[in-house]
Amino acid sequence: MKRKLVIAIVIWCCFILQTAVFPMLGFFSCVPDIMLILTVAMGFMQGRIEGIVTGFLCGLLTDLFYGDIFGFQAFLYMITGYFCGRFSQIYFDEDVKMPLLLCGACDISKNLVIYVSRFLLRGRLDFAGYLKSVILPEAVSTILFTLLLYRLFYSINHSLVEKEKKGTQTLWIRE
Amino acid sequence: MRKKLDLKGKGRNLLTFLTLVCIGLILITLTTSFVAEPVRNITGYLVAPFQNGVNDIGSWLSDQLSGFQDVRELARENAELKKEISELTQKNNELVQNQSELARLEELYSLDKKYSDYNKVAASVISKDPGNWYSTFVVNKGSKDGIAVDMNVLGQGGLIGIVTEVGANWAQVRSIIDDESNLSGMASNTSEPCIVTGNLLGMNNGKIDFKGLRDDDNAVTEGTSIVTSNISDKYLTGLLIGYVSEIALDSNNLTKSGTIIPSADFRSLREVLIITDLKQTREN
Repeated sequence: MKRKLVIAIVIWCCFILQTAVFPMLGFFSCVPDIMLILTVAMGFMQGRIEGIVTGFLCGLLTDLFYGDIFGFQAFLYMITGYFCGRFSQIYFDEDVKMPLLLCGACDISKNLVIYVSRFLLRGRLDFAGYLKSVILPEAVSTILFTLLLYRLFYSINHSLVEKEKKGTQTLWIRE
Repeated sequence: MRKKLDLKGKGRNLLTFLTLVCIGLILITLTTSFVAEPVRNITGYLVAPFQNGVNDIGSWLSDQLSGFQDVRELARENAELKKEISELTQKNNELVQNQSELARLEELYSLDKKYSDYNKVAASVISKDPGNWYSTFVVNKGSKDGIAVDMNVLGQGGLIGIVTEVGANWAQVRSIIDDESNLSGMASNTSEPCIVTGNLLGMNNGKIDFKGLRDDDNAVTEGTSIVTSNISDKYLTGLLIGYVSEIALDSNNLTKSGTIIPSADFRSLREVLIITDLKQTREN
């Protein structure tokens, strides 16, 4: 229960940060996708279920306020969470290389899907232009922010896991 | 070497279920005019006040920072402004004279409904689209302040966009530079209609596209202003969109297309004006 509440608050904070703070700062040519970082981190650290749920909620929140096709972003983020959940078997404490790789890959593939489904189908054929002006800059800024934020998400998750462990242990085995 | 997809395990059922939910939602939005109004309103109450607050803090901070500007620069600016004031006062005097003449003539032609007469509500931008593909934003006024879908939004210098969704205390605006935005405009001098479309890549150079303009007399040139057309069913007539930057004859030898430089400033969107009058259509 506590875990669910904390995750919900983190998702909500990320949404506010993503929509109200970063675009207004004005020094990003491309805003990083923090909700993607959160989804990747949760999937990678906690497994598929957590990844799917976090991704679904992040996407749904985006769909509620932005975007005209309800459920599209939710689907994209959910798949991202599931995909990263498959890597949770090789999850290793404090390793930041794997999340970096996953965030970069997921961000690029998410944007490729958006490009193909929402732009290419309308006859916007200049793929190189979109790659240069949207996809790559966003991937770079997302990867940079993974460096900063993954530690934070990691420590939130870590403290939650510690508390859960303590709750399940009996008095006798508690150290 | 084909790797078999492992679809066993706990995640499978949840993934299948939620995928079906998503696909269902997508299909519903694509086929019907479904709006998740109640859900949107509840989440609006959870999110919009905080975005508003965060925004206030942000603008307060930037105000504080701008307080530390160079004194010499300010003095220079002050001198320039004083010069400008004297010029403007002179111009204003002329304009007042013209104005009275205009008022007289307008009365003559009963052209009393001009764009200054529209009722407007000021609103501030509280959040923007989270991705980098679209140019939509949310403002802090909603149905409580009399905002409704399809109201036109003005910014500094010209047309900004149109309200696409409304909650109790927020409204979503799609700007005219958004890649999926299409609106009917016309050249101000010939009144020939054309279609103005947003362009994501073009906006890197500050330009959007227009197409389908009939211009047999070559009257439309660089710098001609493009305004919203009278045949548009959502945009009020005569709002300034921008100025023609490039124009060329299409391969059909009938119509012309090219680019427009929008007159509104989209880079630093903070405050916008929402026109609360809706365009008159057959239904209303």
